[in-house]
Amino acid sequence: MSAPAVSLEGVSFRYPGSEAGVHDIALTIAPGELVVCIGPSGCGKTTLLRLIAGFLVPDAGRIELAGRDVGALPTRVRECGVVFQSYALFPHMRVWENVAYPLRVRGVPVEERRKRALAMLEQVGLSGFAERLPAQLSGGQQQRVALGRALVFNPHALLLDEPLSALDAATRTTMRDEIRRIQRQHAIASLLITHDQDEALSLADRVVVMRDGRILQDAPPQAIYDAPTDAFVANFVGRANLMDGTAAGPAAIDTPLGRLRTREHGRKLGAPVRLLIRPERIELATDTAGENVFAAELSRDRFFGASRRIEVAVGGGHLEIETNARDTVRRIRIPPDAIQFLHDTQGGGTS
Amino acid sequence: MLPRWITAFYLAYLAIPIVLLMVGSFGSLWLNTVLPTGFTLAWYADVAADPSFRRAFVASLAVAAIACAACLAVGLPLAYAIFRARSKAIRSLARILYQLPVALPPLVLAFGFILVFSSDTLPWLGSIWLLAAGHIVLGLPYFLQTVVADMQRLGLRVLEDAAESLGSSGWQRFMHVVVPSLRHSILSGLIIVAALSLGEFQFSNLVAGFLNRTYPVVLLQAFYGATGFACAATVVLLLLALAAAVAGGVVSGGGSRLRSVPT
Repeated sequence: MSAPAVSLEGVSFRYPGSEAGVHDIALTIAPGELVVCIGPSGCGKTTLLRLIAGFLVPDAGRIELAGRDVGALPTRVRECGVVFQSYALFPHMRVWENVAYPLRVRGVPVEERRKRALAMLEQVGLSGFAERLPAQLSGGQQQRVALGRALVFNPHALLLDEPLSALDAATRTTMRDEIRRIQRQHAIASLLITHDQDEALSLADRVVVMRDGRILQDAPPQAIYDAPTDAFVANFVGRANLMDGTAAGPAAIDTPLGRLRTREHGRKLGAPVRLLIRPERIELATDTAGENVFAAELSRDRFFGASRRIEVAVGGGHLEIETNARDTVRRIRIPPDAIQFLHDTQGGGTS
Repeated sequence: MLPRWITAFYLAYLAIPIVLLMVGSFGSLWLNTVLPTGFTLAWYADVAADPSFRRAFVASLAVAAIACAACLAVGLPLAYAIFRARSKAIRSLARILYQLPVALPPLVLAFGFILVFSSDTLPWLGSIWLLAAGHIVLGLPYFLQTVVADMQRLGLRVLEDAAESLGSSGWQRFMHVVVPSLRHSILSGLIIVAALSLGEFQFSNLVAGFLNRTYPVVLLQAFYGATGFACAATVVLLLLALAAAVAGGVVSGGGSRLRSVPT
């Protein structure tokens, strides 16, 4: 395993006169890895990015870029390519001049920097736009210029602060794939900040979920979705049925729905547990065969074309189900392997 | 329909004195009639030949140029400091302070100048530099307002963050990003300062003294003489104001055209 390109250890920062900030952050990004940091607004994800870029100075902790402690270095010499939500293109410079700007301040002669800027523009799919002004480009095109400008000087890391949130839905999906393609091509360690779970799951090698200035979970997208550590993560990434229950046997939990058969959970009889069942894992049952089949009373039924979101009352509880079946809802079946155990037993919201 | 009539009336209200001045400046005789009689260019020749008007014209241009240069040298760093001020309270306080001269009559400023600069220790009353100093005070609020507003609109802070992350030093950021991206508002701010300076009367009249009177101050004297001469002298000032207005319109129009291309 090679040394991480970005490494944070015990990093804390608090905005003067407020409680907001980040606390005791540990994070590493391997060369070529794309880490997506996700969380609600005010969770500290942008603060984290600004700390790495050097716009903010941590109160405590150690930040390393390419194995070098950069704590004392100003932003200017940290060699991080930053892509901003508002693109932050220089309005008076032509597209190629924007991309060539990092080379200009490094003293690269004009012919060479123009050549390198044009090559970079081709990589980001903007050949032919070099002589335009930023205001003459669409949002997606401007973001491509910003991406090219952040990469042209071969930085240690690429930091993207909500790069897609100012774009319309269709462009966003295209740009998502483009960012991934270009990031792979450059094999550059990257941190992308977002509040969009689809973006996080589809882009990331690893997802970091933050809340109140702390990292709640740091895992590959699938692990975040399938094995969230707590109710907050479960709720924030994807939709979730959360319920409290008590262990009623080595593979059984008593819940408001009734007794659920589960996999072996290893908890003591009567111990409180918190369960997660993803809506798309619940099946509509036509008969009573198998385990965990319950009579269900339909309370809401919404059709979204490709899927259908149903809310049902089961026993003393409620469940949200996502299915593509068009059947009438009478019974539901919860496969035992669809039931996840969360680490926390209390706290966090339910929806 | 009504807005159109109001517009027409207002334009006529603006234009009639100007038109009358124009007509008067070309008329050879204007005594107790609605319009003057005869056509002559003599009044303009007289104004051009009058040494005190020639001198005042040059003095006005010099004062305006000094005021503009000083507004640029002082105003740009000041605008930047206000924009970058750490707390919102400081920014608001700075705004109140720098807008204060707008609310005060220039008369107050002139009295202050006379009190300070008529003494034996600072006997500078009547110098061109002192005139320019007063015009700086009067013009700076408009310059700051224009430039600070543009900084906020552009999101200059993020642009600077971007430049910094790309390896740009403080001085490079200022020269490569701050100044060029603000060039339209800097220019239109300076045009406002020049226009204010060229047309300023109250302050200049009290502080100018006899040697370095500005054009509007000398213009007042013209009204004690021939009507045609006064009209012609006024038209010269009008043309200067018009030039400033057109320049301002071109600059701000050019700026907004550049920025409003649909994305």
